[in-house]
Amino acid sequence: MSMFFKSPIDIEILLDSEESRKHVEVPTSVNSTNSRKESLPLVEDGETLKGIVTLRVREGKKVEHLGVKISVVGSIDMQKLGGAPSSSASKSSSASSNASNYSATDSKKRQVDQFLYLSYDLCPPGELQHSQSFPFVFKDLAKMYESYRGKNVDVSYYIKVTVTRKSTDISKIKKFWVYLYNDISKTPNNVTITKTGTKRITNDISEDETNDPANEDTRSKDDANDTSSSNDNKSKAAIEDKANAVAKPVKLDIGIDNCLHIEFEYVKSQYTLKDVIVGRIYFLLTRLRVKYMELSLITRESSGVKQNSVIIDTTAIRFEIMDGSPVKGETIPIRLFLGGYDLIPNMSCNYFTVKNYLSLVIIDEDGRRYFKQSEIVLYRTR
Amino acid sequence: MSYSETVEQAISNIKQQTVLMQRSLNNKKLMDALKYTSTMLTELRNPKLLPKQYYELYIQIFDSLTILSAYLVENHSNGHHLAALYELVQYAGNVVPRLYLMITVGTSYLKIPNSPREEILRDMIEMCRGVQNPIRGLFLRYYLSQRTKQLLLPIEQKDSIEFNSQFIITNFIEMNKLWVRLQHQGPLRERDQRTKERKELQILVGSQLVRLSQIVDDNLTLYEEEILPILLEQIVQCRDVVCQEYLYDVICQVFPDEFHLKTLDALLDTSLQLNMEVSVTKIILTLCERLNGYIERIRQNQSEDNDQNPIKEDILERFWKHLLKLNDERPDLSIQELSGIILSIMNLSLIWYPTNIQNLNKLFGLVTQKCKDFGEERTQDSESFMVKLLTAHDLDGVKNYKKYFFDIITQCDSFQDLLSIQNSLSQMDVLTLIINCFLGNDTDKKSESQILISTKTQLERFLIILEPMITIKTLTPPPDKNTNEIKEYNAQLSREYLLSVHQEKLAKMCHFLIQNIDKTQFKTVESQLELLLMIKNVYHKGGKNIRFTYPTIVTNFWRMIRKCNIFKVKIPKRKQYYENLMKQIFKYISRCINDMFNNCGNVCMDLIYKLNLQSAALADQLSLVEISYDFFSEAFSVFEESLSDSRTQFQALIFMAQTLQKTRSLYKEDYYNQLIVRTTLHGSKLLKKEDQCRAVYVCSHLWWATEISSIGEEEGETTNFVRDGKRVLECLQRSLRAADSRMDNVESCELMVEILNVCLYYFVHGDEQTTHVGISYINGLIELIKNNLKSLRLEGEQRISEMNVNNGDSNNVNNSANGSIANKDKYVMGLDGTYIKLRNINNSSSAHIDFKIKDMNINDMIQIPVEHFDRTCEYIINQRDIDNRFKMVEL
Repeated sequence: MSMFFKSPIDIEILLDSEESRKHVEVPTSVNSTNSRKESLPLVEDGETLKGIVTLRVREGKKVEHLGVKISVVGSIDMQKLGGAPSSSASKSSSASSNASNYSATDSKKRQVDQFLYLSYDLCPPGELQHSQSFPFVFKDLAKMYESYRGKNVDVSYYIKVTVTRKSTDISKIKKFWVYLYNDISKTPNNVTITKTGTKRITNDISEDETNDPANEDTRSKDDANDTSSSNDNKSKAAIEDKANAVAKPVKLDIGIDNCLHIEFEYVKSQYTLKDVIVGRIYFLLTRLRVKYMELSLITRESSGVKQNSVIIDTTAIRFEIMDGSPVKGETIPIRLFLGGYDLIPNMSCNYFTVKNYLSLVIIDEDGRRYFKQSEIVLYRTR
Repeated sequence: MSYSETVEQAISNIKQQTVLMQRSLNNKKLMDALKYTSTMLTELRNPKLLPKQYYELYIQIFDSLTILSAYLVENHSNGHHLAALYELVQYAGNVVPRLYLMITVGTSYLKIPNSPREEILRDMIEMCRGVQNPIRGLFLRYYLSQRTKQLLLPIEQKDSIEFNSQFIITNFIEMNKLWVRLQHQGPLRERDQRTKERKELQILVGSQLVRLSQIVDDNLTLYEEEILPILLEQIVQCRDVVCQEYLYDVICQVFPDEFHLKTLDALLDTSLQLNMEVSVTKIILTLCERLNGYIERIRQNQSEDNDQNPIKEDILERFWKHLLKLNDERPDLSIQELSGIILSIMNLSLIWYPTNIQNLNKLFGLVTQKCKDFGEERTQDSESFMVKLLTAHDLDGVKNYKKYFFDIITQCDSFQDLLSIQNSLSQMDVLTLIINCFLGNDTDKKSESQILISTKTQLERFLIILEPMITIKTLTPPPDKNTNEIKEYNAQLSREYLLSVHQEKLAKMCHFLIQNIDKTQFKTVESQLELLLMIKNVYHKGGKNIRFTYPTIVTNFWRMIRKCNIFKVKIPKRKQYYENLMKQIFKYISRCINDMFNNCGNVCMDLIYKLNLQSAALADQLSLVEISYDFFSEAFSVFEESLSDSRTQFQALIFMAQTLQKTRSLYKEDYYNQLIVRTTLHGSKLLKKEDQCRAVYVCSHLWWATEISSIGEEEGETTNFVRDGKRVLECLQRSLRAADSRMDNVESCELMVEILNVCLYYFVHGDEQTTHVGISYINGLIELIKNNLKSLRLEGEQRISEMNVNNGDSNNVNNSANGSIANKDKYVMGLDGTYIKLRNINNSSSAHIDFKIKDMNINDMIQIPVEHFDRTCEYIINQRDIDNRFKMVEL
């Protein structure tokens, strides 16, 4: 910005002991190609948000204002609202929220929900003649969701300080990042929903993977709409006992007639983000000339209204687990440490869900890909 | 990350990354170092590399990783805990670099005291399953094996050997699977290429067994119960030829031989379950070699300790059973393979049980049966294998081939059976080899004594073995009218006419057999005679071949006659017996000669003639007058009836004269006179004048016996020499007439000089009254010669002048070319009328003998009698100093 249009007041928001606070590196924009990252302070659920706001006035200038207000905002922003045209989406979003349509992170994304809005005045209307600091506190602030920055959806938290003036208001926001930790002893909230997905896969293995490989290929990335819809249908049907879910290993038996038949097993279906995925793949029949096999972890973000949801898959990990072509009877071990990767735990709210899938991909000598996805649940622990 | 296009690029990349890695390590930047290492390891993902290229990269990378490993161990306690690193490196996205890194870190961790060794080892070997590509997998597992070499569980730890061996076995099994799988990858047309590649890689798999043998050490129970069954099961299950052959070989080679002795049954039984294409021969051969090594070592130790024989098990029995089983289960096994196996087992038997020939007999029996089963299907190839088998080709077990063959021939019935069903070509090969062996020089006197024929059956067996060679037919003409073949056949036939290789061997063999008769068993001449007759009877089957072999037999008869004579003199009591025996033997000789006459016809008349004469001479020496006369008369009848060639006749007569001149016992009943008159008569009736001349002057000696000092005769002392000067003179005159009537001037002169020489001989040996060869006769002869020479010279000069006119130019050229006249060829004439060309006067050995020399100069020809006469004159002059009578000879 040029000097002329420089705002007459500098607003600085500092959390208490921000320097020593843990920071999280977050890419500025998921969609944009430049991979600049910003470092945001980390705040936990229920943690009191405390800090100081400093307003600096330019040397020898006075600034009149109608009051200084501080607010903490948690919002869900979306770029596309599923199948519906974006205009209607924006309409609905403006209807649903009384706050401004401002999106903290991405100009393309529009706020669809503001699940957190707390605000109070820091100082009554008056005149600022010199720099002044105001401490602020939001006691035991409850945060419903984890911060998330996805392709289509963001969950963002920020503190906003607004100096109201007769002319344009001067405001400054400070983003912060929120982690929600699940207790190891009890299953996380969102598991109840995702567990049904796991069940689904076990049910319809044979039909699912015996498809023509060429079709598989095209389906792999983009076109996942129908699967998700069927997913939802079935999720209603299956209600499971949730205690068993963690301990139960994922076992699948898949194949293509007279061509490939494998059995694979992951020791469990739910993992913490620092966990290790351990498993094995047992080849019962291979007529394929396999070039290699890899395990990838796919994070699936689906957002929007149920029928018209936008689904975006991101491959978070690609991990080669086998080189060359095995013969009948071979067992290939799987061990994937998750701790080193930046993964997103499963999330769910009315507007979007984030789910994680393990995808086993076999690539044959001719470059054809055969894969099988199975859902796993990732959750954050301390 | 991707790998380089070419090997060169890859190598330079590896080098570069290694340098970067080392630099980072020096700066204590481990993360950077790991990054470079992983870049370097990416090269090992290249699927296009050939095994050799891959190995090159592997070696480089191994060295680089060694550097890394050393650093890791050093820095374990300051900051880089290896347990953490072990996890860290597993984030590598590609499986091959990941596992190399993991193994590098893991094995470094093993070096740290109190590290969870067992878990690390288990984990590493388990994770290696991730690489299923044969080449990459093999090298990865080889890397694991190399890295863990010194780092398996320590021996002190409980069950460590079991764990360690299990570890290696697991690795081995996986490697073997990968190795076998390599064969079945890629297009079918590259199969051979892949087999070649696999052979290049085999050492990687084999190295696991070597490691295993080091771990097992001398723990037989572990080996027998835990390891070997697993290994064998793997080998059987993979059903792969290359693998089965190689691994069997490796097992046989790397584990101690006493293990093999204990586990022989398992090894042998398993070998039956292998792929049909696997060469069973090779396996058995290796096994046998190892066992042989064992027994030899044991024996060496034993000779030091003087211990009892440690071998209790009957190894051969096991092999025999195996062989029978093999024969049952694999009736399709080719003769080649079987003979190879038998050969190995024979060797084993010879080394383990050198005295047990019956084992060999059994083996030969089996092969015989097999050959009969195969019948006509036997191929040409198998013949050479049978020859090897029958001649025990190159067997270490045979310390002394003479002894071996002797034992085989005298004790193995099956050997003969087997030999008899071979085709004649291989039979000849085998027999030639055996005979050569017997006839070969052997400096070892001890073994010589062992080869003695002590029973008739032994000789019989020998003769049966030899029979195919005895009865072999001379060449049959080829059926085709192919000119080449016929030409070859004719060439061979003419060679056969002169000499037969096989029959020559037989003749020598006859001598060998007679010499090796055990004299303690066959004391009397009669008993030995019996053996000789056996040989004769068998050799008789040879038909025309006897012309080659009978002379040997006859010679042996002669030898026996001599022996009899010695006994006769020594034991006067049995004089009559020995005389009868001698007579009997002479009759056998006569029979032999008759057989030759009847069977061979004209081919060997000369030989028969000579054998007759020789026998006659022998009989004469033993004073068996009648017998001698009979042989002489036989010789005459052969001469008269069958010797038609004039030159042969001349030679035969000379031989007859020589023999007769030495006889002493024929004077009775006027036999001698009859014979010599007949000889001379034949001589004078020869076709050519020069032959007549020479034969007659040689015959003149028949009337002038000379001393034979070996029977005690001495000139001047002995008075009863048969000497008749008149007859001598008659002969000389007859001879001179013949010489005179020879039209060739040169030859005529030469003959006269020769006669002069004979005359001088008589002149020296007797006075004029007894010999009737006096001064006047000699002088007359000299005069005659001189006249003849004069006219000869005249002829010569004329010719030379003619030649000079005609060929002046060429002569000049010749002269200038030759340079020295000293080197000029010189000619003399032989007693049979041949011209002998002496190439160089100094070196008379290089003489060229011919009846006619084409390029002979007339002048040279003239020189022959001239020079001869000069030499005679010189002799006369020299004699003048000793003998006054010579002064009267006019020159």
